[in-house]
Parts: sequence; C-alpha cells; structure tokens
Amino acid sequence: MKQFHPVTKVKGFATKQSVRLSEKTMAKTAIANNFLTDLADVLLFITQFVRETFSRNSEVKEFFRQCFQIGYKSLPLVSITGTIMGLVLTIQSRPVLIKFGAVTMLPGMVAVSLIREMGPVITALICAGKIGSGMGAELGSMKVTEQIDAMEVSSTNPMKFLVVTRVWAAIIMVPILILYADAFGILGSWAGANIKGDVSFVLFFSQAFGSVRFMDLLPAVTKSFFFGAVIGFVGCYKGYNAGRGTESVGIAANSAVVLASLLVIIVDMIAVQITDMLI
Amino acid sequence: MNKAQRNRPVLVGLFVLIGLIFLIGGILMVGNLHETFKKKITVVSLFDDVSGLQTGNNVWFSGVKIGVVSNLHFYGKSQVEVSMKVETKAQQYIRKDAKVKISTDGLIGNKILIIYGGTSRHQEIQEGDTLEVEKTFSSDDMINTLQENNKNLLAITTDFKAISKKLAAGEGTVGKLLNDNSVYDNINAATASLQNASVKAQQLAGSLALFSSGLNKKGTLANALITDTVVFNSVKASVLQLQKIADTAALFVTNLKDAGCNPNSAIGVLLHDKEAGAHLKETIKNLESSSKKLDEDLEAAQHNFLLRGFFKKKAQAAKDSLPEK
Amino acid sequence: MENQEQHIINKGESVIAIKRLYKSFEDLHVLKGIDFNVFKGENVAVLGKSGSGKSVLIKIIVGLLKPDKGEVVVLGKDIDKLEGKELDALRLRIGFSFQSSALYDSMSVYENLAFPLTMNFKHLGKKEVDAAVMEALDAVGLTDKVRQMPSDLSGGQRKRTGIARTLILNPEIMLYDEPTSGLDPVTSSEINELINEVQKRYNTSSVIITHDLTCAKATGNRIAMLIDGKFLKIGTFNEVFDTKDEQVTKFYNYNFIQ
Repeated sequence: MKQFHPVTKVKGFATKQSVRLSEKTMAKTAIANNFLTDLADVLLFITQFVRETFSRNSEVKEFFRQCFQIGYKSLPLVSITGTIMGLVLTIQSRPVLIKFGAVTMLPGMVAVSLIREMGPVITALICAGKIGSGMGAELGSMKVTEQIDAMEVSSTNPMKFLVVTRVWAAIIMVPILILYADAFGILGSWAGANIKGDVSFVLFFSQAFGSVRFMDLLPAVTKSFFFGAVIGFVGCYKGYNAGRGTESVGIAANSAVVLASLLVIIVDMIAVQITDMLI
Repeated sequence: MNKAQRNRPVLVGLFVLIGLIFLIGGILMVGNLHETFKKKITVVSLFDDVSGLQTGNNVWFSGVKIGVVSNLHFYGKSQVEVSMKVETKAQQYIRKDAKVKISTDGLIGNKILIIYGGTSRHQEIQEGDTLEVEKTFSSDDMINTLQENNKNLLAITTDFKAISKKLAAGEGTVGKLLNDNSVYDNINAATASLQNASVKAQQLAGSLALFSSGLNKKGTLANALITDTVVFNSVKASVLQLQKIADTAALFVTNLKDAGCNPNSAIGVLLHDKEAGAHLKETIKNLESSSKKLDEDLEAAQHNFLLRGFFKKKAQAAKDSLPEK
Repeated sequence: MENQEQHIINKGESVIAIKRLYKSFEDLHVLKGIDFNVFKGENVAVLGKSGSGKSVLIKIIVGLLKPDKGEVVVLGKDIDKLEGKELDALRLRIGFSFQSSALYDSMSVYENLAFPLTMNFKHLGKKEVDAAVMEALDAVGLTDKVRQMPSDLSGGQRKRTGIARTLILNPEIMLYDEPTSGLDPVTSSEINELINEVQKRYNTSSVIITHDLTCAKATGNRIAMLIDGKFLKIGTFNEVFDTKDEQVTKFYNYNFIQ
C-alpha cells in the first residue's frame, strides 16, 4: 500500500487506464492485488465505461456481434433451463397444493414465482456462467496475447471497442433472455401440470396470468437490467485485468463466474428489499 | 463476410423482437391490466360486515367475473360502503333489484363479491346505483339461532306436557276430549315428535358448537373436514325431523279447524274452554314460526362456505356406514 | 505521413530521442537512466537478456507504459505529455509488431489487416480497404492467406501477418518486439529479410528488440547492448562485440555456440 497508484493517476484516465493496466500486469501481483487499489480500479473502469459510452463513433457493428454472441447464442441454454425450471417447480409444489385442496392455484403460484424470482435469478446465474466466463476468457486471452495492446497502439480504443459493446450487449440481452426463460418456464409448468393432471392450455395460461400483477413484472424486469450490467462488467473487468501467462486466462474466467454469480445474488437481495419498501 | 455473419443482424433482430413480444404480451395479459382498457361503471353496496373483503377482489355475476372491488370505506356508524367497478358489457344483465353478498373463491381462496338475483321487471343498473345486501349468516349466528330454537322447542314441549296432563286428569270440559280418540292420538303424536325433535336439535347444537370451536383453532381445518360427516348427518337428520314436525303440526291445525266447525264434538268443547284454547293456539303459533325459522337457518347453512364441504361429501357419507351418534 | 524522403541515414535527424529514462515496477528497477537515439531511416537492434527491460523500452516509446523519469520524444513529440487524439495520431505513425503477433483470434487475416484501417479511417470504401490489405499482404508475401483464420497460420505466417497489419498504416517508425522468438532458424532468417525489405520499401526507421544475435546482426544498422537497465554499448555489430567485457562476450559466445 506504500504506492497508491490509482488515486494519484486519476487525471485523464482515457489513455491512462490502459497504461495503468499494462503497468499493473508488469508489477508483482501480490502488491497489485490490494483491495483498495482493486476498488479504485473498478471505479476507474466504470467511469471510463461511462465516458466511452457517450463518446462519438460508437461501434455498432461490434455491438451487434456481441448481441448475437450473448443473446442469440445463449438462447438454447436459457430456454432449456427455463422449461425445466417451470416443470420441476410444478411437479414439486403440486402435492403440497393438493394437500390443501388448492391445486387450482398452481399455475398462478408457479407463474408468480417464475416471473418474480426464479426466472430472473436462475437465468442470470446461467448467464453469469456462460457470458461471464466467455467474456473473462476472451478478453483475458486477448490481454495475455497482447491483442488489447495491439488495439491500443493502432489507435483503437479497446475499452470502447471491446468493453462498451460487451457490457451494453449484456445489459440489453440478459433481460430479454430472462423474458425467454419466463415464457419457457410457464410452458414447462404447463407441461408439468399435464404430466399428473389435465389442464387445457388456455385455462392454464388464464390462471397463470390471472394471479400475476403488473407490480410483479416491473421490479423483475428492472432488476434484470442490473443483472445484465453486473455480468457484463464483471466479465469484462476480470478479462481486461488478467495478468500475464496463460493460466491467468483461466483465473480470469473462473473469478468472473464466481464474482458475477455472487453479485447477482447480492443485487437480487437489494432489489427485493427496495421492491418491498416501495410496495 | 460469410453467410452466417450477414444473417447475424437479422437473427439478433428476430431474437429481440420475440423477447419484446413476450414482454408486451406479458404486460397485457398480466393480472387486471388489460381490463383497464374496458369501460366500467361504479356501483356501491352497504355492508354491516365485509369479512375481510379487499380492494381488488373479484366481482362475480352468475359465476362470471365481471369486475373488481375498487374501494372500501366506513359509512355511518359502523357500516362499510363497498364500491365495485362492473364492466359495461355485464350492465344489461344486472337489474336494480339484484342483491350482493360476500363469498369465497374456493375453500381457502380470496373473498369474492357475488351479485345475484334481480328480475327483468326492474331496469338495468346505472352508474352510482346502490345494490341491496342480503343478510348472510356467519357460522356463529347460525349456531346461536339453532340454540335459541332448541329452547323454543323445549318450551313448546313443556306446554304440550302441561296440556296432556290436564287432559289426562280429565279436568272440566276438557275431560270430554278424552272420548275423541282421533284428536287424542294427534296430540299424543305431536308431543312425541316434538320431544324427539328437541333431542335432535340439542344434538345438532352440540355438534355445531364442537365444530365451530374446532374451526377457531388454527391448523385444524383438515381435522374439521374429516369429522364433518357427523355434523352433516346431524344437520340432515334435524331437517327431516323438523319437516315432520311441521307436517304434523299442519295436520293438527287442520283437524282442530274441522273440529272447531262442529261444536258438539269433544274438541269443540275444548275450544270453548278459554284457558286451554288460548294455550293450544299459542302452542300452534310457536310451532309454526319456529319450524319456519329453522328452515331458514338450515338454508342459510347450505350457503355458508364452511358447511359447503359437508354437502359435497354427502355421496361419500351415504356409502360409508353412518357414524354413531 | 506520406513522407517520401530519400533513404539516407541522416545522423542529424532523430525520430526517437530518449534522455535519462528511468522506469521501475514497485521495487524492481528495470531501466536506470537510458540515453538513446534512433535516426531517420536506420534500424537499431536492441540486444539484451530476457527481463532486461527491452520490451518495457519499446512499450514506453509507443506510450503503453509511462516513464518514471526522463524524456521520450518520438517524431518530435513528447509522448508522455500526449493524450487522446494527439496520442492516437502519433500512434498511427508508429507500427508495433508484437512478440506474440497479437492477431485478433476472432477475425480472419483480411479482417485483422482491415481493422486498423476501418477503425481509424471510417470514410474508406471497400475497394480502398481491399487494395490496402492486398498491398500489405504482398509486402510480407502472404496474399494467398487472406481468407484464413489466425489459428490456421504457422508461427512465421502469424509474425508476417502481424507485421502486415502494422504496415497497412504506412508507419514511419517500426517497433519489433522479439520478431524471431519461437521460430526456426530458416523462418527467422526470412523474417530478418522481411524487416530489411520493409525498411527499404516503406522507408521506415526501426527498433528491433531481440536476444537473437543473428537477427541483430542481420537487421541492425546499429546495435545497442542493454545490460542491467543501461545501454552498455551502442554501435555497429563489430564495434559492440569487439570487447573484452565479460557481460558482452558471454552473450556473444552463448548465441554463437548454440
């Protein structure tokens, strides 16, 4: 802690961020991995992200490429997870509801729990695994093989080209993936209800959506944007800050998943608290 | 650029589009949001007790959801004014003389407001109309009434005992009555019936008291439902018994009237015995009013949600051997 | 940028001028007072052991690292004081060939080469970009690999592609970080030839960082010996190695015995 780089170097971080990262990579990891310097790094990272977001000449093409990678490519995984989530939730809660003679409440209960909590959180965790590790590994290997430096020296802002596009793609794609998971979850729940019983599609859906209120949907959608942001930021930050050597790519990917999952849960807790206070 | 790359924006666009359709579809389908676009009128009702009705509870008419409870507030001393929003498409079917009651959706579901009745002689409801509330019996009310009834029945029986004693003693003109066999038999039968009914009603009141105390304990709903066949059978037996009383009483009254026309018969003499005549008249009046009241109570019981389960299990109870009383 | 001057080693005009440069990472002092000049049109080979700070030196030249002390003037501008657009403009005049080639794995050879062009000159049409890519690939002799992905290329081809990617911007200064590391002797000598060819064809001034004496001898007009964070000697190959200094002879012997 004797040298506290980040604070002294705050001025003009547009270029200095990358310089600092290069220096950090060269420095001994024990000293570089200080909690306070890490915190300052994160703040610098986010500040620069915001700066670059509003700078001119946005990388639309790369943004779409990332949307494709993050959104479209995750769809099969998310839809399978969503379907199974709905199916399992239905099969598990059915006996309890039968005991109380409230089996007609099953679609509503499953729909509310899927939309409010299960859909957003489990999808976000799945995305933290898939997208977070992907970003951590991709940017980490770009860092290790000097591709990020190569961009820097060819006057392309890697922060803008790599990070801004990925984080925004995550912020926009994760909520959409969550909507898909919700939809597939309700479909899976209908399938689950039909394994043991017999409910028509229309009845199931009118019962399911009959108990969902707008104030169930709104906080869920709102928090899913934050989930996307957390996953994007953590994935990019960990990748962008990977150390030297190939093993640091693995470390970056791994810690991206762990931290992103943890933060998703924490953000969820905060979101639930806020929702609880407001309603 | 290969083919996959060229299709990329299309796929992303499609992906986002379907996602947004889910969102918008969800928002429109969710809860009552899509109903905000429907035209509605507001009608009110005054309740003494809304038994936990809340804003947002559904309003049913003929078993179809036609609106929601929009507002609840106190009115007058302790009454509650309930405002409900009713879809205009249902307006033409609801008449001004329709009544409102509070019921439950399912066994442990939400409270619902039920609009029922109404005749085509009256006009259809308009914005701001007040709908009448029918008094519904809570289970406590019902048990209290039944217990009161039981007392009445005991009193009637006592009266009859007094009459029959007098008749047996053959005091005064009343002694002549003994010679009229048919009247004697009738009175005898009525007395027996009423004694029987009294016993039954006592049992019923006991069962119901037990049942309601069980209900008041938390978590014993399932227990109550298992033992409910006993209660149900008591209620059912009482209904039959009391109907019998009513029949007997009606026959008795008819006989008395016939006898009254013929002053030479023993009963004619009885009617001229002022004291005994007044006694008998009062007895008959009591009997009529009490059996009518009991009928009402039991009908109310049929509508009471807690007892609804008993009737559902009627078939099953019939199959099973009847539990001992 | 299109400075088509005569190819002469003009000792008077220096494109890179470094004075009393110090650089350390935490407790590790890498560069301890370096004075260094690169003149227009010449190739300077910087020789040194691994970890002697050679890479740090050229990363400071291109502005990837900041000096602790001292002055680094590149093409007449103090790179430490430049920011944003000015720094970007200067970097467009410097080509940097990375040790690991640093090809973008997710892009084809064509896209790798087109990337710096399209990113910096958005107005360029497809035909102009195509022409520039083919010209740069022609310079490194890889025109047939234009559709390949970097993973399909051999080490030497990757190096060439990396060099082509920097050439596409017509740089005035070329910085090579270990251009022959990890390559067999034959491929190495091909790369050495390429470096000399580039010097002539694009009229560049170059700094070649290497620990490979053959490479230094083949490409460097001058050779700078970096030992213990300081330049021990700067001069022609013979000037540098005509010495009894053990640190230099060790280096020489080790390389040529091998």
